[in-house]
Amino acid sequence: MIEFLQHVINALILGSTYALLGIGLTLIFGIMRVVNFAHGELYAFGAYCVYLVSVLMGLNFFFSILVAILAGCLLGALIEVILLRPMRNADIDTTMLVMIGAMIVMQNGEQYIWGGVAKSVNTPFPEAPFVIGPFSVSSLSLFVFFAALLLIGVAYFLINRTKLGKAMRATFQDRDTASLMGINIQRIYMATFAIGSSLAAAAGALLGPVYVVSPLMGNIASLKAFAIVILGGLGSIGGATIGGFMLAFAEEIGAGYISSGYRDAMGFLIIIAVLLVKPTGLFARSERIG
Amino acid sequence: MRKGRAISTFAAAALLSIGLAGQASAQTIKIGVNEPLTGPFAASGTYVVNGAKIAADEINAKGGLLGKKVELVIEDNKSNPTEAAAVAEKLITADKVPVIMGAWGSSLTLAVMPKLLEYKVPMVVETSSSGKITTSGNTYIFRISPPSAVEAAAFKDILPKLHMKKVDFLVINNDWGRGAADDFGKVLKGEGIGVGLVETMDQSAQDMSAQLSKIKGTDSDTIMVTTAVEQLTLLLKQAAALGIKKRIVTTGGSQNPDQLIDQAGTAANGTYHLTTFAPWYPDQTPDPTATKYFLGEWKKRGFNFAGATESFRGYDGIRTIAKGIEKAGKAEPEAITKALWDVDFTGLNGKIKFQKQGPAGKESGQSMPNVYLIQIDNGKVILPKL
Amino acid sequence: MTRLFPWVALAVFASIPLWLHDPYLLNAFITTGIFIIAAMSLNLLLGYTGQLSLGHVAFFGIGAYTSALTSLGFDVELIGGLRVVHEPWPVWTGLVLGTLVAGLCGYIVGKLSFRVRGAYFVIVTISFAEVVRLVALNWVELTQGPLALTSIPPMTLGLPGLGYFDFYSKQSYFYLVLAIVVISYVIIRRLVYSRVGRAMVALKENESLAVSVGIDVTRYLVLAAVVSAGIAGAAGSLYAHYLKIIDPDVFLFLYTITMVIMVITGGKGTLAGPIVGGLIFGFIPVVARSFAAPEVQWILYGLFMILIVFVLPQGIVPAVENLFTARSKAEFPASPKAKIQDAP
Repeated sequence: MIEFLQHVINALILGSTYALLGIGLTLIFGIMRVVNFAHGELYAFGAYCVYLVSVLMGLNFFFSILVAILAGCLLGALIEVILLRPMRNADIDTTMLVMIGAMIVMQNGEQYIWGGVAKSVNTPFPEAPFVIGPFSVSSLSLFVFFAALLLIGVAYFLINRTKLGKAMRATFQDRDTASLMGINIQRIYMATFAIGSSLAAAAGALLGPVYVVSPLMGNIASLKAFAIVILGGLGSIGGATIGGFMLAFAEEIGAGYISSGYRDAMGFLIIIAVLLVKPTGLFARSERIG
Repeated sequence: MRKGRAISTFAAAALLSIGLAGQASAQTIKIGVNEPLTGPFAASGTYVVNGAKIAADEINAKGGLLGKKVELVIEDNKSNPTEAAAVAEKLITADKVPVIMGAWGSSLTLAVMPKLLEYKVPMVVETSSSGKITTSGNTYIFRISPPSAVEAAAFKDILPKLHMKKVDFLVINNDWGRGAADDFGKVLKGEGIGVGLVETMDQSAQDMSAQLSKIKGTDSDTIMVTTAVEQLTLLLKQAAALGIKKRIVTTGGSQNPDQLIDQAGTAANGTYHLTTFAPWYPDQTPDPTATKYFLGEWKKRGFNFAGATESFRGYDGIRTIAKGIEKAGKAEPEAITKALWDVDFTGLNGKIKFQKQGPAGKESGQSMPNVYLIQIDNGKVILPKL
Repeated sequence: MTRLFPWVALAVFASIPLWLHDPYLLNAFITTGIFIIAAMSLNLLLGYTGQLSLGHVAFFGIGAYTSALTSLGFDVELIGGLRVVHEPWPVWTGLVLGTLVAGLCGYIVGKLSFRVRGAYFVIVTISFAEVVRLVALNWVELTQGPLALTSIPPMTLGLPGLGYFDFYSKQSYFYLVLAIVVISYVIIRRLVYSRVGRAMVALKENESLAVSVGIDVTRYLVLAAVVSAGIAGAAGSLYAHYLKIIDPDVFLFLYTITMVIMVITGGKGTLAGPIVGGLIFGFIPVVARSFAAPEVQWILYGLFMILIVFVLPQGIVPAVENLFTARSKAEFPASPKAKIQDAP
């Protein structure tokens, strides 16, 4: 029982960061119909920002997270304007290829600049774990958990309570009608990609110190983010949040009680099962097929 | 306009490369280096190459080999078996190297091996640990890194002093990790020590708390871990966060204790590591002068000290090849293959002398390096008194 | 004149081993050719039915493993103590079985996943590939997992009693790969220009319309998936017997990406597209290797890819075709896509 509860604690912490990754991707995927392979690279970008600002420049750790979020936002907007805007009328596979190209360039650019050796980021949090009875969790993880929840809340507020969010939702439901209603689609797309990117960078900024910062950290992040999005359904922030926690639980329980070798298969098996039972994902608004 | 120029540049470069490659290398002796410089193993591959460069420069500073300068032809195998085989093909046929060092990972080395048979060119294997490399009847393979069976055998002597009762394994899910779990498991069982869980982690996994939580709940007293330094750093941090108090012993020689101290902080304290090179105590290494020279050069070139435990294999690999060429008296593949059997010198991690392994008549060479057990204590590497 | 073009191209490729003796470049042609076959199979799905399979490497890998295991033999114990022992068979049966097993997997995946479309289909196929990779990694008894299958015999062709021909030399393997390229090309061409192909294009262009005129969408999609997976499996088999070692790295996501790049830059939905794109992106690394640092090679690769997509969003082959049709519209046989568009 103690072991099970420890697995639950682990899953909650892991799930919060998964959710953060998933939300950014689901926004971009849902609103822009872009299969964003560079999402993981923005995650890595956020982590390198923290490394640059807090380790190399020696500035405050929390400040470096803010810098990472803002820089991710800017880079996202830049990518949208340079790479995606000219391809607006191209089909989904072609824009996907552009993003794959961006991924290859960014990933190897990171290695070129920073080298292949992983970097670690020290934080102001004590190294000793936080212990309650038989359970134990590092204080950095607790911080990451609450920060992730806060960011998820902010994103949720942005989408559901602001004018920009309303326009984004309208664009998601019907791009042409939204455009007719006077919504500036160009601006919405740029905002969507910038917000999605800054969420990915935020996830990287939070997780970089927990794990290590390396040029390849983006690969696994992208794969997980895709899994989360499909679990939750396209364009659904609530879905991506729940999807993130579900994936984390599946991995924890799978590794804990079934087989650690198949740990990463759990998420994908759930996805296949979900899609067979409910092809639109667990929480998606119904989407036209075809 | 610009596109046209780009294409012609490409074409020119292609022609140039083919043309240059054809020229015989009368002035220098070429040694092929086939290492991962991009992709998942880029960091380690780069360390090994840096070590190799130190060896080549040292040889050249002392007048070269057979009166000629040594030239390393370094190619990136992109951490990808298809590319590793293609690179071997290029090194052998286009660059005409008579001998290769490579290819870091076991799957990369295994992919190169058929090419060695095809062109009859020897390769010194500096890192790969899979047992299959020396037992599949490839007579062009000479390995200086210890497979896990050798490491486990050396560990047997230290074992009684560690007073273990029951051990859980947590290993990377590849040939290296699985091989280590098998070989160490056998030795432990042979000594009457219990073997509990054998858990694996994916090569790219960053979160091992699930596996660790499971291990936390068992009645074992020791966890044996095999993986490279990045994953190990995370694992130690996560074990500390979960409040795991069991003894951790790592194997495999890619642990990089200094990087652990630097990156895992206090979480690394108290952990034990089996390693084949102990640069912290140059005087206790088999060849203190060489160790000091290597470390001095390493520092002079501005590389971080932590990389030394990985890069020394590149240094020793090239030195092994150089001894082979010297003994052969000419830079030709057949002669070098024969001469490598006679190589006998003290490398940074012990005697380098190849013993025969594999099917009779088709043996590969395997050198048996020293294995040290070190401990991290209060942010310092110590040789534990047991 | 354009009708002659495939024959001219074939003649040029067939002559390569006669004048090109550099084994490294020949090796590049062979591996590129193998990936071109895989890219052609991907193109059948992506280009002609509009369904992007990002798990295509799964079929490639399944073909490779099936073929290797057929020729090496295995001995596994299944759940319930059932023991399956397989003695090594002649190597060419591996190629056949690899194709068939991959095709069967294509059938199952197609049957299950064509309930969903577009982005969802992409994810189902990625998930499938990841699960297959993890099975290959963890079912050590059958696949030897990360320990890799080694000493895979070279491809041989022949029957007991009639003698064997083995494709050990690079020249012979080049012709074997070329032959499979041609066979795949012919199969895909026949399929695309048949009723089936027109139905596929119809449902790609407008699925609801296709359904409303009575096209059994799922049936055609599954058919395309089976053929596509089978051809990918054949490519995998060629890969295994050429490299002579496979391990779960054969399921690298990078390989799928390579195939996608070849198809889209060359021009999806055209027969020659994957071949043109394949040759370009198969040889960029070879050329770039000679003058750029390792990371820079990759950066150039990525930039070149973006550049092609920006300049020629439809791909290279359609752009060239358009150039021709502009000159002689009557002479050039329109691609099926153009036909559909012209029809109304």
